[in-house]
Amino acid sequence: MRYMALLLIAVVMAAPAVAQGASLSVIVVDQGGRPVEDAVVTLAGDTPTPRTAATTYTIDQKQLTFLPFVQVLRPGDSVVFRNSDRTRHHVYSFSTTRAFEFVLAPGQSSTPLALPTAGVAAVGCNIHDGMINYLYVTAAQAVRTDARGIADFSGLHAGRVEVSVWQPRLPPGHPEGVRQATLDLSAGDARTLHVVLRLRPDPRRPSDHERMRY
Amino acid sequence: MGFRFRLASLFVAALFLVQGITAVLVYRVTRHELVAEGQRQLDVAARAFSAQLDDLSRRVASSVQVLALDFALRSAIAQRDQPTVLSALGNHGRRVGATRMLLVGVGGDVQADTAGRLRTGARFPFATLVSRATAQPASAIAAWDQRAYWVVAVPVHAPDLIGFIAAAIPLDHRLLLRLQRQSALPKSIELATPRQGGGWQVIASGGDSGVVARGLGRDGRALPRKPQVMDVAGREYVVQAVDLSGSGREAGVVAVLAYSVDAALEPYRPVAVAWGALLALGLLGGVAGAWLIARTVSRPVELLAAAARRIAAGDYTPPPVGARQDELGELAGTFATMTDALRDREARLLHQAGHDQVTGLPNRLAAENAIRQQLDESAVPRAALLMLGLGRLPDIVTTMGHMVADRVMREVAQRLLPVVGKALVARATDARFSVFCAGATRGDAVTLALRIVEALSEPYREADLTLDLAPAIGIACSPVHGAEGSTLLRRADIALIGAMGSEEPVAVYDPATDPHRPERLSLMADLRRALDSGDGLSLVYQPKLHLPSGRVDGAEALVRWHHPGAGPLAPEVFIALAEETGNIRRLTRWVLEVGIEQAARWQASGLDLRVALNVSARDLDDVELPLRVAGLLAAHGLAPRGVALEVTESAIMTRPETAVLVLRRLADLGLDIAIDDFGVGQSSFAYLRRLPVRELKIDRSFITQIARSREDLAIVRSIVDLAGELGFRVTAEGVEDVATLERLRALGCDHAQGYAIARPMSPQAFEGFLDMPKVAGA
Repeated sequence: MRYMALLLIAVVMAAPAVAQGASLSVIVVDQGGRPVEDAVVTLAGDTPTPRTAATTYTIDQKQLTFLPFVQVLRPGDSVVFRNSDRTRHHVYSFSTTRAFEFVLAPGQSSTPLALPTAGVAAVGCNIHDGMINYLYVTAAQAVRTDARGIADFSGLHAGRVEVSVWQPRLPPGHPEGVRQATLDLSAGDARTLHVVLRLRPDPRRPSDHERMRY
Repeated sequence: MGFRFRLASLFVAALFLVQGITAVLVYRVTRHELVAEGQRQLDVAARAFSAQLDDLSRRVASSVQVLALDFALRSAIAQRDQPTVLSALGNHGRRVGATRMLLVGVGGDVQADTAGRLRTGARFPFATLVSRATAQPASAIAAWDQRAYWVVAVPVHAPDLIGFIAAAIPLDHRLLLRLQRQSALPKSIELATPRQGGGWQVIASGGDSGVVARGLGRDGRALPRKPQVMDVAGREYVVQAVDLSGSGREAGVVAVLAYSVDAALEPYRPVAVAWGALLALGLLGGVAGAWLIARTVSRPVELLAAAARRIAAGDYTPPPVGARQDELGELAGTFATMTDALRDREARLLHQAGHDQVTGLPNRLAAENAIRQQLDESAVPRAALLMLGLGRLPDIVTTMGHMVADRVMREVAQRLLPVVGKALVARATDARFSVFCAGATRGDAVTLALRIVEALSEPYREADLTLDLAPAIGIACSPVHGAEGSTLLRRADIALIGAMGSEEPVAVYDPATDPHRPERLSLMADLRRALDSGDGLSLVYQPKLHLPSGRVDGAEALVRWHHPGAGPLAPEVFIALAEETGNIRRLTRWVLEVGIEQAARWQASGLDLRVALNVSARDLDDVELPLRVAGLLAAHGLAPRGVALEVTESAIMTRPETAVLVLRRLADLGLDIAIDDFGVGQSSFAYLRRLPVRELKIDRSFITQIARSREDLAIVRSIVDLAGELGFRVTAEGVEDVATLERLRALGCDHAQGYAIARPMSPQAFEGFLDMPKVAGA
């Protein structure tokens, strides 16, 4: 696939830090070496998924932007869309995970939307083309990279894990993300994984569309 | 004609050349400019066309983009509601003018096709376009199913990318025509796509029917990317191809923009026609003008040539060129001047030819012509010609010179003219005037002649010079003395000579005394022939009687010529002729040969005769004569005393030294020398003594009258006496009667010769005469 990301993986062995469990730091950069935020790093394999109660996340709409851009959820979690702008927002999603559509008046919040199944739901605003966010629903361990492009995992069990990375700006055809590496972790390991993603331009920037010539 | 034609040709050729070159130059410059302008325009047009298409592309893409934002459509797409998608696509497609709309999946697979030609899941033909369209709409012009389309792909976000909407908007001739109408595009715009196996397929064309791309494709020529002049199907085009596909890898579409040079030249065609008409008109005018100019030049030249021919023929009419201010007029003027000069000169020459310079009178030739004319006209039954001679003129010329002689002649002419009246006066020769009186009788002529003599009797006077003119006039009358002018002139001249030699100043021509008759000329030739052959010449012998003994002891041989036509001729006539014509020596030679032979014969037959032979003055110049005589004597065995030679006094006097020498030689041979015609000359006895002369023959003029004239008798007596004293024998000639004979005998003359004794006779007759009894001598 021509639009497949070119992946460079380097695993650096680090000195054992913690006695219980291993830790993994995944550093995601784009093709220009810039840290990639909002990438979701998921681990699959021997490490068990921590059980947590269902949570309701709020997706704020502020200055014609969904915040956060990517929200990692566990199946069963719910989201509430809150309109903090002075305009209306026509929030919709045609995703197979959960299709919905409603209009939020300024200051209004939606009723919680439960997302029972794993999958990625792209959410947009029909009024504002540039507004988009993703609800990443997964049962696996998943961490979103911070502004530095780093996703940290700790307390991992020894054993084999498969590391996948997803980012909205990945080329089309990777709904679940790209499997980056398979690691055999030992107890006390502190591993760092460098991931390079080839990404498309950020679709969120309102200016992108406004500046377009058509 | 030749000159005119060449001149006209030159003009026309120059005109044609200049016009033609100008036309060609203008055509070429115009064409070049047009082509250059065409190329420039085409370049601009190509760019404009590209820009227009780009602009249109963007608008089309923008329209399609708007469609892609339609929520319902996106909803239908996201929810895979195929019927809704198809109908929405069709509906939206009509809005943007697309004839075909497709929904293409993110993977490049066709999910819906309003045309229904591509099945779901088939690959979208313009994969590149789709890949370009992920972020923003992409469009390309492409050939699709033999048509040109804008194919626009826009991404569909819902809100994530869920696929692409592809719209195919036809780019057909209607659009091209619209574009051409909207902007200054060339007439010929063709969209072509490469055909498999070479060549170009025209998929749309505006204006014409795609001849350029097809033509170029057929010829296998590449399409020019820059404006270029190309020959397509026999016509010239400025062609530029614009690749519309951009960098796309789809089936390419090329726009061929062409600009027909011929069509561009079309507006200039009326100009060219006008130009051609102007050229033809100019040419025609040029020909006519050149012809006229050539005519104005050559016509006078021809007239001058004709005038020159006329002048050559003697017609001095001035050339009819007319008054012109140019060189030809000058030439004509010169020509007229020349003609005048020629006429004057000819008149002068004619006058000179017919007139005497000194007196201004007609000359002999003119006079002769005038006389002939008058005589020929027979208007005058008779006429007289007077020839006036001045006896003193030769003396005047030799002593005074020609100038004086000329003045004298002028004066004579002045005096002559009033006297002669209407008669024609001419200067016949240097010293003579002729006066022709038409209708004059002999008497009239003599009267006129006497009046002329009277008029000229007064001497010519000039300063201290007085000259006696001594005029003499000879007259010849027509028709008595001749019917022709020349004859009259000659005869009047003869008469004049007669008159000059006589006392009478006027003489009329007498044919009897004319020694210059024309017969003489033929006589000379006849004489020469007779001398060559001896035919017709003979010697007759006249006896010489020895008076004391009464015996004939000698004879004088006399030559006779019996002319074959004219009969016997007088000896004086042909001897004088022989002397004048230089034949006398030959005659003498003949006489000597025949005479000596006869004498020898007689001597051989026992006759004692001395034959006297006449020798002329010319013979005495001949120093060979003694030798020849000696030879003849020896040849015939004749003793020298059998021959005597008779010479006249005058013969000796002409060249005395030679004559004496020759005579002395002859005498030395033993020959007797006799002086003939003694007494009429000026010879003296004293002179005779120096000559070897043995005999004197007294001239007959003294003898004939001695019976009646005492003076003659006295002369003869004294001659005989003196001759006897000096030892000369004396012979008397012309003794015509017995009385004279007796008288001579009484005087003591030795010999007598004459009719009284006997006439000259042939040798045979002479011999017979000797045998006869001597009646006469008794």
